[in-house]
Amino acid sequence: MIMNELRPGKHVVATDFDGGEGILVDLNTKKYYQLNETAMVVWKGLEKGKSMGEIVADITSAYEIPADHATSSVQRIVDNFQTYKLLGAS
Amino acid sequence: MNADQSTDLKGWLPVDAVVVEGRPGLMWMEMSGLGLTEPFFQQTVERARRESRAERFTEFDVLLQTEKELDSVEPTGFIFHSSRCGSTLVANACRAVSNSIVLSEANAIDKLIARFITDADNPVKESLYSVFLRCLVHALAQRRTQNERHLFIKFACCSFAQLERIKRIWPNVPWLFLYRDPVETIVSNVRDAPPWLIDSDRRVLSSIIGNESEMSLEELCAGTIGSLYSTAYKLANANSMLLNYNQLSVPVIASVLNFFNVSLSSEELETIARTSEVYSKEVSGTRAFVADVDAKQKLASDLVREMSERWAGEPYRLLEQKRNSNA
Repeated sequence: MIMNELRPGKHVVATDFDGGEGILVDLNTKKYYQLNETAMVVWKGLEKGKSMGEIVADITSAYEIPADHATSSVQRIVDNFQTYKLLGAS
Repeated sequence: MNADQSTDLKGWLPVDAVVVEGRPGLMWMEMSGLGLTEPFFQQTVERARRESRAERFTEFDVLLQTEKELDSVEPTGFIFHSSRCGSTLVANACRAVSNSIVLSEANAIDKLIARFITDADNPVKESLYSVFLRCLVHALAQRRTQNERHLFIKFACCSFAQLERIKRIWPNVPWLFLYRDPVETIVSNVRDAPPWLIDSDRRVLSSIIGNESEMSLEELCAGTIGSLYSTAYKLANANSMLLNYNQLSVPVIASVLNFFNVSLSSEELETIARTSEVYSKEVSGTRAFVADVDAKQKLASDLVREMSERWAGEPYRLLEQKRNSNA
């Protein structure tokens, strides 16, 4: 599945906490996930339907890190979201 | 009872934090059209129960959804206290402000704060409970008439021990700490022991005063209020106000509301003056208020005075110094 088809699952609720961090709740499994600032940027990007490139751009502009580093971070975070079944297809 | 995870909770308020069939969550009550007019939130809940209002249970995660759905008032000011020191009088004065919501020692709030102590054994849980607390207040502060503009929250006394966590959620909300001479406070609590002092689950008190086994009621109370004074001394800053029971008067209560950035009309001031003349905790509002400083001092036993001095004397004096230096 390509990145642009990935969206947050309808069974997941996200909320901000403490500035940039966040909490995800999987309403099916009742499991909670704490997201750091970067993961929260990725999650919000997915909510808005952004592409991988747009999310990477959000991160590089906010944190001043190289694009290749940001790309691998975003991919790893998305992989984790998928592993925990937090995403659905658009 | 099955958990009802529907989020159509407009007009419903979370009235208690409970555990149903091993699942922690909230009991909600349908409270449309019902003003929170009693001195304590749970007194309003009892009135609603007598009207046979509908109730339902949900797990905590529903709060994350309701936070996105309900239109609510942001907190205007927080009232903390060291027990039996006039905080209900101040909360009643806040209720005199037009278009205000006053949540006075709502069970769900203070029980959730207690979970910071009893359940939060890792940082994820602490964050989670902080989010739940923010969402819980959002649900309780929902606009049910559409006119509400102010939200005042009076916490139970032991919740003050968690002030740093509460401030982390609402860093800019001004807060009041109200306290009283420790001897008078202990006399009042020992004569009519409140639930927090005789709770068989001592985890909350232990977290406040350390090892509390073998303590008399007098010592337990003295240790608790001494710790609360110390917390106030340590954390009071420009965003807070310290107030001693012996300062309470209508002008001082008005200054508390000004501190909360509320401008009072002359009608609201008159209402505050009227409510200050009656005993603050009575639902009917007909029993006259009688100042009882001398009576409390006369009733103090040697044990009360000894424990007061041992546990709370120095923290009280330091707090008074800080208050006077800020005056």
